[in-house]
This record gives sequence, structure tokens and C-alpha cells, in this order.
Amino acid sequence: MTRDEIKDLILEIIEDIDEDADFDALQADKPLRDQLDLDSMDFLDIVMELRKRHKLQIPEEDYPQLATLDSCVNYLEPLLSDA
Amino acid sequence: MHVPFLIIGGGLSGLAAALRFARFLPDVLLLEKHSRVGGLNSYYYRNNRLFETGLHAITNYAPANTKDAPLNRLLRQLKIKRRELDLHQQIQSEVRFLGRESLLFSNDFALLDTQIAAKFPGSHTCFQRLLELIENYEPFRPAPFISAKKVLQETLGDKLLVDMLLCPLMYYGSSLENDMDLGQFVIMFRAIFLEGMFRPGGTIKDLLDLLLDHYRKHGGSIRTKAAVSRIICSGKKVHGVKLADGEEISCDYLLSTIGSDETYALLNKPSPLESLPRLGFVETIFELSPETVLQGSENRTIIFYNSSETFSYQQPQKLVDFASGVICMPQNFQGLPPSLFKEVRTTHLASYDEWLKLRADQPSYNSAKEDTALASREVAEKILGNFSKNIVYIDTFTPLTIERFTAKKQGAIYGNPVKIKDGDIGYDNLFLAGTDQGFLGIVGSMLSGVSIVNQHILPRL
Repeated sequence: MTRDEIKDLILEIIEDIDEDADFDALQADKPLRDQLDLDSMDFLDIVMELRKRHKLQIPEEDYPQLATLDSCVNYLEPLLSDA
Repeated sequence: MHVPFLIIGGGLSGLAAALRFARFLPDVLLLEKHSRVGGLNSYYYRNNRLFETGLHAITNYAPANTKDAPLNRLLRQLKIKRRELDLHQQIQSEVRFLGRESLLFSNDFALLDTQIAAKFPGSHTCFQRLLELIENYEPFRPAPFISAKKVLQETLGDKLLVDMLLCPLMYYGSSLENDMDLGQFVIMFRAIFLEGMFRPGGTIKDLLDLLLDHYRKHGGSIRTKAAVSRIICSGKKVHGVKLADGEEISCDYLLSTIGSDETYALLNKPSPLESLPRLGFVETIFELSPETVLQGSENRTIIFYNSSETFSYQQPQKLVDFASGVICMPQNFQGLPPSLFKEVRTTHLASYDEWLKLRADQPSYNSAKEDTALASREVAEKILGNFSKNIVYIDTFTPLTIERFTAKKQGAIYGNPVKIKDGDIGYDNLFLAGTDQGFLGIVGSMLSGVSIVNQHILPRL
């Protein structure tokens, strides 16, 4: 997957969690949770969807690396290079 | 047979846990002892119609735009759309201390606030302080017991107001006699007074079927009439369960929603929890003909009443204590389609032990049930006006009925007074959710199932 495809994947997962999520003003280097009003329960959905869709096992200690859209892409890029 | 995730108990916490897990992995099996799911909130058929058990109203109402509200968080977690539920808000409810004072409340908190300002003018400023405390309190943080009664008395200084605020909160979710933990008080105050009450347009069966449909759509499995006789474990590691028919099912993770003592019994272990009196209840359903007009009800949804000098919420020394209770009129929610019947449902505190004494003698037990219905009707008629001529059908549940159908120890609907907030009962891969975890009501118990799966199971897979 390219960086843009990974970005779209994350946004698609978030939209699936919250259909009213507003991405227009989203800043890629700022925490997703604050900007999109996601709580820790919602956040777990991102991890679990990645597992379901791409068989990715993300260990709990790596969750902080999914904090912003940019950090998600950085973290996932090597993991999804063959996807 | 082996499943990665096994759940004991098909009540709302078990169903929600199962559905939450199945959204991501279909390898989950839910075991329910009874022939129907729902646990405390289920249904039965009599007199050619469906009767709901448990459900009066669902607490934790929230409008769609409050994303953080428990109801909306729950629906997101389970991927259920609000419109699938068809929510109907309460009209107006009341705390009525007969001959003394009455407080109205609805899903608009301003009503209660105005009522308190008008009826307890000396305490209204103190009430604002209480609201601040409630707003800033973190009820989910594990903390030692703090007496809500004491805090309320100190903050409000008016015993009548304290009792009137505690009455509905205790009746709708306290497993403890005459007091509540402050955290539990805050949760219940938010759920009932700040958020409010609603019910689905359909019956509890429709809600349960909706959950089952979603669950099955994700590939989850369920077995009813599947009683667990033993949990198989070595040390702190659980291997699986043995069913009453001898079948063994192994699992990686086990969630029990059947109560703490009930779970320890399956582990063949004495409960390490302090044994406090459990609270039993009797409930009577009066089915009324559709043209019935309840003169005194004024479209109230629920009336929490007390007729004695001091409000006491404790196990009575006799079969039933009629001095206080709950009167619910399930037709009085906004925008419900006209139904083919009306109902008055009454709830009072009852003694499990006293009812147990009658069990061996069926005629006495039956006549005690009839006496209970009669006495309860007389109390309700004092408040609602006469409706005895309109009664089409009456049914009374005792703590024994509740124990039989829900397997809740002593029929105590709110479970063990000692709660295990984090769901950890000392095993590596066995967790507790539901009533004895301290989350109550339909929304609360479902969130309990969801949060245990989120905290302990999904991140470890």
C-alpha cells in the first residue's frame, strides 16, 4: 500500500466507527482522538479493524504509534508494504 | 469442542460482550442456561400476549449529538444504529413521599432543578454544589466505599430531600441496604436524573432479537438450555467448562456474566467476598383494558413512592414491604403507538427467606402471591385512582420466581452488594462482567460486557 492508500484506509475505518466524523479540518500531525472526539473504546476499533482486514497484530505497547494520521502511516507503511 | 472466546450467561452484558467480540472475530460461543436470552430483561407468554420481565424503562437516555454519552458509545461499539432502536422518551416521572412532598423529573433536567428550587428553597444552593460534585466525580476509578447518604446529608442538609433523591436511584440499581457507594450514586444520578429514561418502541423481545441478529450476522454462535456445571481450571488458568449434559468445551478466554458467587460456585471455590444481605423484590403486572383511564396517574411514566416516615431500603422481615416501591406505566412514553392493553407494574422490596419458607406449601405460596397482588394494588390505587374493575390479567413474580428464571442468587436482581469493578476475580483468562461488576441497567450492563472485552480480551488476541 502507498502512504496515501494507508491514509485512506485509516479514514475509512474511522468513518465506519462514526459516520458523522468530519475530516475537513483534520490535521495529520495532531492526535486523532482529540480532533475526532474518539474515546479509547473507539480507538480500539481501529486496531481491531486493521487486524480483521489485514491480519495485522498490533501489540498493545504500539498503540501510541497510532495517535496521529501521520504516525499511523509511518507505523503501518512497512507492515502493509505487500498489501 | 474448542472456542477462543466463551461466555457464560445470555443476559444483556453477555450478549453485548459476545456481539462486541464477534464484530472482529466470529469465534465466540455464548452459553445460556434458560431457553431464552435476556436474563433479567426477558419475556414470557401468558394470556395470548407477550409480557416483559424486568424492563420498566431504560436509563441513560441521550440525544444523538452527545457522542460521549454512554448510550451512544454503546451503540457505536456494537455498530447498531440509533434508528434501529426506535427510542421513546419518558413523559414525566415522579418521586412522591405521600403526605409530605413530591418531585417531578423528566429527561429535561431543568424540571427537577426547578422543583427543588420551589419545594426545597433552603437547599437549592446546596443542590448546585451537589451537581458540581457529581459533574467532577470519576465514578469508574476503583476507590474505597464512601457513603453516598453521608455525603448527601452533609451537602444538602435536608433529610427529606436526601431520601427523595436516593429513593429512585436505590430502586433502580442498588444492591446495598440503605446506602449506596458514592461512585454508584454518581453513576445512577447521571443515568436517571441527568440523562433520563426511555424505552424502545417494540418489546424487549425486539431488542433481544436485534442483538441476536447482529451477533449471528457477524458469525457468532449461541446455545440456549446450555447450563454450565463446572469451570475447568488449574491454578489461575481456566481451560474451559463442563456442561450439565457432560460435554466439555475448551476456550482461550472465558467471560462469566452470571454473578460473582455464582461463578465461584462453578469453580468449586468458596466466595472470598463478604456476605451481605441481598435485596429481593416482588413485581406485579396488572394488565388493564385499553380504555382504562388512570385518573391520578397524569401520564406519569414512573412513580417512586414512599409512605413511611423514614424511607428504608432494606430486606424486610416479612414477605413484602409495601411502605415504598415503584409504580410503572409502560404505555406512558412519548410517541408510542396506541397499544392493545395498558399496564401498571409495581415493585416492592421482599424477603427471599420468607418466600422460601412457603415454597414447600404450594397453596400458601399461591395465596401469598394473591395477597401480595391485592395489597400492591391497593397501594397503587391510592396514587393512581381505582383500576381494579379494568384488570384483565394479573401476574406476580416473587424472589423465587426471579431466581428460578434468571438463576440470580436469591432472586436478588441487583446481585451481590460487593461489586468487583474491574471484573478481575483472580484468574488469568476468566473475567466477570454484568451485575456483579457494578454496572446496572440495560445500558450499563451492556457497557460492562463491552468494556471487559475491550480491556481484557481484544488487546490480548
